[in-house]
Amino acid sequence: MKTLTAGQLEQLLAVLSTSWELRLTILLPDGTRVIGSPDDGPLALQGGAVSGKPTAAFFPQLGTVFASSEGELREPKAPERPLFVLGFTPRDLACLRFIDRFFADGWRDDIYFRQRDGAVVAGLSGYCGPGGSLIRPAGGNCDLEFFRDGSNWLVIPYSEAGIEIAAKVADFASPEARERFRQASVQLPDENETLLLRASELLRANRVPDYFWSEIGDRCIACTGCNLACPTCTCFGVQDWRSTRQVERSRMWDSCQLDGFMREAGGHNPLGSEGERSRRRIHHKLAADPEKWGEISCFLCGRCDAVCPTGIGIVAVMKELVARYE
Amino acid sequence: MIDTPRHNSLYLPIECEIISVIDLTSGEKLFRVRRSDGVPLSHLPGQFVQVSLLGWGEAPISVASSPTREGFFELGVRRAGTLTGAMHTLKAGDTFGIRGPFGRPFDLPRLQGQDLLLISGGCGLAPMRSLIQYCEDRPAEFGMITILYGARNPADRLFKDELAAWERSARFACSFAVDSISGGDCFSGSVGLITALIPPLHCIPDRTVAVVVGPPAMYRAVIDELHKKGLSSDRIVVSLERQMRCGVGKCGHCTIEHLYCCQDGPVFWLNEIEHLRGAI
Amino acid sequence: MCPYCGVGCMFYLVSDGGRLVGIEPSTTHPVSRGGLCVKGWNAFAFVHHPDRLTTPLVRRNGELKPATWDEALELTVDGLRAVQAKHGTDAIMFASSAKATNEENYLLMKLARAVFGTNNIDHCARLCHSSTVTGLAETFGSGAMTNSISCFDQTDVILVIGSNTTEQHPLIGSRILNAVKNGTRLIVADNRRIRLARHADLHLRHRNGRDVALLNGIMHVIIAEGLEDRKFIATRTENYAALAESVADWTPERSAAATGLDAGDIVSAARMFAGGERGMIVYSMGITQHSHGVDNVRCIASLAMLTGNVGKTGTGVNPLRGQNNVQGGCDMGALPDLFSGYQKVSDSQLREKFARAWGVPSLPSEPGLPLTRAMNAASEGLLQGMFIMGENPMLSDPDQNHARTTLQNLELLVVQDIFLTETALLADIVLPAACYAEKEGTFTNTERRVQRLRKAVEPPGAARADWEIICDLAGQAGYEGMHYSGPSEVMDEIAGLTPIYGGITHDRLDPHGLQWPCPDRDHPGTPLLHVDRFTRGPGHFSPVVHRLPAELPDEQYPMVLTTGRTYFHWHTGSMTRRTHLLDREEPCSFIELHPDDAARLGIRHRDRLLVSSRRGGVQTEARVTDMVIPGVLFMPFHFAEGAANALTNNVLDPESSIPEFKVCAVRVEKLP
Repeated sequence: MKTLTAGQLEQLLAVLSTSWELRLTILLPDGTRVIGSPDDGPLALQGGAVSGKPTAAFFPQLGTVFASSEGELREPKAPERPLFVLGFTPRDLACLRFIDRFFADGWRDDIYFRQRDGAVVAGLSGYCGPGGSLIRPAGGNCDLEFFRDGSNWLVIPYSEAGIEIAAKVADFASPEARERFRQASVQLPDENETLLLRASELLRANRVPDYFWSEIGDRCIACTGCNLACPTCTCFGVQDWRSTRQVERSRMWDSCQLDGFMREAGGHNPLGSEGERSRRRIHHKLAADPEKWGEISCFLCGRCDAVCPTGIGIVAVMKELVARYE
Repeated sequence: MIDTPRHNSLYLPIECEIISVIDLTSGEKLFRVRRSDGVPLSHLPGQFVQVSLLGWGEAPISVASSPTREGFFELGVRRAGTLTGAMHTLKAGDTFGIRGPFGRPFDLPRLQGQDLLLISGGCGLAPMRSLIQYCEDRPAEFGMITILYGARNPADRLFKDELAAWERSARFACSFAVDSISGGDCFSGSVGLITALIPPLHCIPDRTVAVVVGPPAMYRAVIDELHKKGLSSDRIVVSLERQMRCGVGKCGHCTIEHLYCCQDGPVFWLNEIEHLRGAI
Repeated sequence: MCPYCGVGCMFYLVSDGGRLVGIEPSTTHPVSRGGLCVKGWNAFAFVHHPDRLTTPLVRRNGELKPATWDEALELTVDGLRAVQAKHGTDAIMFASSAKATNEENYLLMKLARAVFGTNNIDHCARLCHSSTVTGLAETFGSGAMTNSISCFDQTDVILVIGSNTTEQHPLIGSRILNAVKNGTRLIVADNRRIRLARHADLHLRHRNGRDVALLNGIMHVIIAEGLEDRKFIATRTENYAALAESVADWTPERSAAATGLDAGDIVSAARMFAGGERGMIVYSMGITQHSHGVDNVRCIASLAMLTGNVGKTGTGVNPLRGQNNVQGGCDMGALPDLFSGYQKVSDSQLREKFARAWGVPSLPSEPGLPLTRAMNAASEGLLQGMFIMGENPMLSDPDQNHARTTLQNLELLVVQDIFLTETALLADIVLPAACYAEKEGTFTNTERRVQRLRKAVEPPGAARADWEIICDLAGQAGYEGMHYSGPSEVMDEIAGLTPIYGGITHDRLDPHGLQWPCPDRDHPGTPLLHVDRFTRGPGHFSPVVHRLPAELPDEQYPMVLTTGRTYFHWHTGSMTRRTHLLDREEPCSFIELHPDDAARLGIRHRDRLLVSSRRGGVQTEARVTDMVIPGVLFMPFHFAEGAANALTNNVLDPESSIPEFKVCAVRVEKLP
């Protein structure tokens, strides 16, 4: 564990930029914080999770699968320099771990791993949440973690790549800083975490009636924002673009909140009603994924609640569901 | 799991060449195909491939032929959207791409030694044909085999010549039904729903397995009849159609609760999925 | 800024190596507040489509062939001049675009008036809110939405009439849903069972084209029960007695007979709306697109004044503007009778002001042709040349067959667009334009918020921003008054000539824009109009006589067709039909019909149908649903194959020249 001042952190990032393509939490002109290139805005590590899904660094909204011209298929190349991504909160890191596992399982998704392999992922925690609030340390799930302590950053490496980077930092953390980190690492009670477990239990016990989902569906305007902002949503659609010169096949984030998501050419649609689609959105994270992967795939990052124009993000729905059916 | 394709990317199609194309009905064609590199497809009955037409996208198509028929494989394609429409313009000698084979095949080890009740409706006969041909070629592996097939009308029936041949064959007991006939149709089967063909059958529940492949609307009614015959859900096999985009368990378009139809299916034992919402 | 509807949501375009790969919504924007609708989330997806126009095209031997910019510009200017020389100055017309920026609309208006000397300039506002502009100018003195989008969070009762808000203005629709959840009462007057209706305290499914009868009935009840705001009427309005007299015999029973509603529901609606401390009226095309669209708007203005719901937070008459910059197109004077800022061309002092600023001796004084009269003028030979920027009248105008013949018969048709649209296919010259992601400028949203648009990527091939093309055309025509360093300098010129934009400069618009009127550089903008007085002085009550739609069902064409849009497509689909996810959702033309009608006609869901009217017939797919009431069919107009506007009736409101898109008579037959 080592310590950096804010200035030293910027110097470290400048050094890293010679070997890695940097993706950092930056501030856009209107105050929106995103993970992007340092050329596009000033560093903005404080304020908690960024609004968009951080996993977009490896799985962008639109990505090329291949292009074909004159009978030859060409795949996009891996980035010239691997990515160094700083801006995942501990909850985001849990999401990343989940989708790493998802994309690796069975058939390994080479398009995802073309970006992901060799990338260094740095977590952000400590007193850098909204208004300087505490974000519990990740304690893993990343190559290294930057923990904000007062005006300094503690650097905690986990992987070999993380250790190598931490070696570039000279200074060692004081015993007091280590103690503050240790204290912050103690599990704090979080009422949303119990809510998640209770809602999952209700869904798995099949105690939520269909009309509940119809009511939620009535309030859904099918903007798809919940899926598009969710770091563990991985569904994609595929399109071909034809021109006289070439055909380009690409894939883009898709949404189970759309009627066409599962609709077949013959008209049959297993997700053919708004209620069924609303159920699928929550049930998949809280009941289906635990069945398949052994864990709930919502890590309470809060993005779907923030992005939903009508107030039916996952936490809002879980609250209503637990209040009514427990 | 079947062999991983021999090239790098999961999403790059492999070129195939069309050997021949025949019309099955006014809206369905059968493509006889081989991989351009000469490598066999190495599929098992019940699996599908992602057919890829550059500029038109991809669609999952069941393999309609048995791996026991070597040197080619066959795909029955109904003209339903833009991709299948483009596919219908292809002719012998043309090429297109495939990925796969993908998915879980019919559970041959558990079918062997059993009496089989093979029930299909509409274009469900295409995937079923891969199993029927397999049974034809390995007659000793199975008990009594009954084929039931239903279609909207006589002209819409797929594989008419083969249906007639199976009907003539001593290896199979066949009954066919159509929803309706009109003047001039030559059809010797019954008129009505396929479900009506089940009650008259004689079957011994504890040595029979029923395999059902058809349009979504068919499953529930047929399964009810099979249950009435004493067949339990662990003796009924279904093959489900979903709009798979990737075929490899990533795109999410074919999920049934926690299952991915393209990986965990499309062939399921009924008892694996009958309790899942939206399965049938 | 989002290029679709008039709500004006903000997002960032994510690019990678010069290609757009995604969207990041703004989390701080006061309108979108971190959210977007499905079109917004996919707004990057058509930008690099291979169908984009990348080079000018010129028709040679009947075929459109690539040409250089020099050729295309020269042919355009020479062609327009030749038509003018042969047929008169006003034989050409310019169609501007509600998708183009304010600066571009202003420049095209300037090009038409200063360079080509004609007031024949208009844009698609003619097809959507011209009734609003006319009706509200007469009653309030300003044709814009009186209040702000934030008012939806601070109101007691909302009347939504003729607006499918959750689909067409989704981020406003969602505010209405949230307001209802927090206790606001909601009245929906629309015979389609739209999403808002499921949340409404009262859903009035009145017959198409009977809005005046409904609103007069509601006003009758308010006055009869003494629920009107007497203080507001006395201090802020004029001509009340005439209104009271005109609705005196519109009893709930008479209104019920005319609308097909229960008299009791009309009474409830009146009590509910008048009973709220603050009440908002929201409307859109369901009100304006009628042969009596202006009358509908007058009734709405009267209802708001009658209940004292103008000039305060959480109240107002709120016409939701359709296109992202249709408000700006109007503000910029892309209208036949008005300069920018609603300054009349008939006013000699104003003409003098603009002529001096533009360095020309004089400007034409007679109002020009509205777009919807252009087709008739052309078929009569009065109009022989058209320059169309970013519009697709082949799909958007009523009576498609008539539109096609007319456009084909023009001596010169120039189309400037981002795709080879159905209209561009008929053109003699096609100019490739940059899309919203490839240029700078400003858009003005429905609440009059002027916001900046920023360039994210380069335009494809030789395509250029509309403003650059317009300036080059002016230069080609020998005019020296259109050299600008960029859109910011154009806005400075606009501000100097347009009092309501007087204080607007690009550098003041960060981060979230300014709401006009903004008369000077220190003015903070105006969230609420008509606070202490109406723009025109006292608010004017304009009594209205109920008139029926122009074409009613009869034996030959026994059903009513109403047209509109779907959530997933934008207008003529040139962008959304090239966006994979959006086109997948609604891949083909369809028509909604009620299960009772379907049963009577032997039609099943997804059957192919032939729909015909006196203008023509189209093939489409049946969607059997109780969204519509028996006897009424609904059809979206996005689809070139199965075009609803092959059926619609090109009958115009006599005052606003808006076509009656919302009512015509048709018959349906099942295809084999």
